[in-house]
Amino acid sequence: MNPPPVGLSQDARWTYPKALSHKDIGLICVIIAILLVTGRNVEMGRMVQLTASAVSVTATGQGQSQVADGLAKIGTSLWPLQISETTEIGRIESFDRARLPWLAHIEKRTKQTQTLNPETLQMDSVSETAEYLVEPLGYLGHVVVKLVETLEIALWGTVIAILISLPLAFFSASNMAPNRLAYTVARSIVSFLRAIPELVSALFLVLAYGFGPIAGVLALALHAAGFLGKFYAEDIENADTKPQEALTAVGANRIKVLRFAILPQVMAQYIAYTLYVLDRNFRMATVIGLVGAGGIGQELKGRFDMYNYHHVATILVGIFCTVFVIDQLSARLRRRLF
Amino acid sequence: MTASQPTHVAFRAVSKTFPDGTQALKDVSFEVARGAFCVLLGPSGSGKSTLLRCVNSLATPTCGEVFIDGQAVTDKGLPAIRRKVSMIHQQFGLVDRASVAENMIGGALAEIPTWRALLGLYPDHFKTKACELLQSVGLSPEHLQRRAGDLSGGQRQRVGIARALMLDPQIIVADEPVASLDPKISQEIMELLRQAARLRGVTVLCSLHQVALAREHADQIVGLQRGVLIFDAPVENLSDGDFSDIYDQEPCA
Repeated sequence: MNPPPVGLSQDARWTYPKALSHKDIGLICVIIAILLVTGRNVEMGRMVQLTASAVSVTATGQGQSQVADGLAKIGTSLWPLQISETTEIGRIESFDRARLPWLAHIEKRTKQTQTLNPETLQMDSVSETAEYLVEPLGYLGHVVVKLVETLEIALWGTVIAILISLPLAFFSASNMAPNRLAYTVARSIVSFLRAIPELVSALFLVLAYGFGPIAGVLALALHAAGFLGKFYAEDIENADTKPQEALTAVGANRIKVLRFAILPQVMAQYIAYTLYVLDRNFRMATVIGLVGAGGIGQELKGRFDMYNYHHVATILVGIFCTVFVIDQLSARLRRRLF
Repeated sequence: MTASQPTHVAFRAVSKTFPDGTQALKDVSFEVARGAFCVLLGPSGSGKSTLLRCVNSLATPTCGEVFIDGQAVTDKGLPAIRRKVSMIHQQFGLVDRASVAENMIGGALAEIPTWRALLGLYPDHFKTKACELLQSVGLSPEHLQRRAGDLSGGQRQRVGIARALMLDPQIIVADEPVASLDPKISQEIMELLRQAARLRGVTVLCSLHQVALAREHADQIVGLQRGVLIFDAPVENLSDGDFSDIYDQEPCA
């Protein structure tokens, strides 16, 4: 045996790699250049300038700022939240005076209207008295009902997404797919599903299925299936291979290996993904309602188009609260799983 | 054990070259008698694991064949062979997140119909068997519900051994069963494996890199170095010099 070499300094190969190579520096320069060019195109400079002026106007109270004015206007038009609902009794079909809804009461209101008197050609002030049904929590109740409907859409979107994505994930995991063709086909389907945004597929599905929750559920399910299919498959691929080999060695077939060696490893992660998709589906369900696919979004869009910003504010707060609650619940569930 | 027993496993001119060109085994031939405890000894990279994996066809020899009871190991008869041959792994091969009970059932999967396995309707005799085996390797009933990942290394390998016995194998292939355990636990595990095998008349092929453990527990020792068989002899015929040979002649890389 040769004696071990004494001292490394003679050997030129023993140089410590630099933390930043020329390649790295070049790459950083390229990234900076891309950011500069794209930042110019999306007017990042003007954004900074406008924001800064808004901040300074708010702080000092002097000068004018388009952004600060805009935000102030939004703030004042949203506040206060619309909680109650008032309906003219004459417009309610088959109204039963003896059986009012919960907490509701009837109010008489006098309304002054200016009308043109055709004889005198003068504007006359006419007072009309009408009875109104006032429900103090009426609109809030309506929003809650719509939120529940949205949750139902999100839930079913997630359920169908799981059903579609499980077989897709099995075939699009390279270590489970029976052959190359099945793998390629499954992967393509998964990418295709993920490539179409919910909003776009909802537009088409509303044409096919009509307005309402069916289009919403399907739009969410298709996109989320692409999403889950990819993540489920990647987890199958990344699962520890030693238990799989151990079970193969004792004669287990592919399905048994999946059930006994892979599923226990990926289960917690799968539930985490699914909860995330449920959360995401709820938020997306509010958005696809805008194109008529049911739920709170449809209500939001209607109120927004009628400039009922107090109603919009109630809806937004409702969505926020629901997202917050879902987030807390899923965090708690995840903590118990891991 | 005595050499008078008939041959159980025979390696005939087994060579294995991996796709990247590494030659893991070169023309290895030897025989193991029924019920013998055969230890493959050699430094890392000497081809022990590959040789063992050829027994249950996790690896396929490029040349040569492995015979079990005189029958060549081929893909055709694979289910039958894998039912006869159990395996114990260096990293235990357990699913850490699953319970010990689930891991034990894993050892009997070849005998459980797929639909029953999927629904969790395991036959009762396998459940009873799992409990008996866990008891025989020194674990208590409370371990059954624990996650395999929560057990200590020694306990996990006990589960590994118990799992390997689920289908009453004729041969146990143990790939470095004690490589990730400390010396004291290694000793216990080797004794357990030895005992379990002797009790059931199981032939064991076990790779090791600790000479002392090999000499203490083996009936027959096969020395490998860089894929070549250096010696194959009953343990009592081997001298200290034989062992130092396979480690000392490691070429300096």
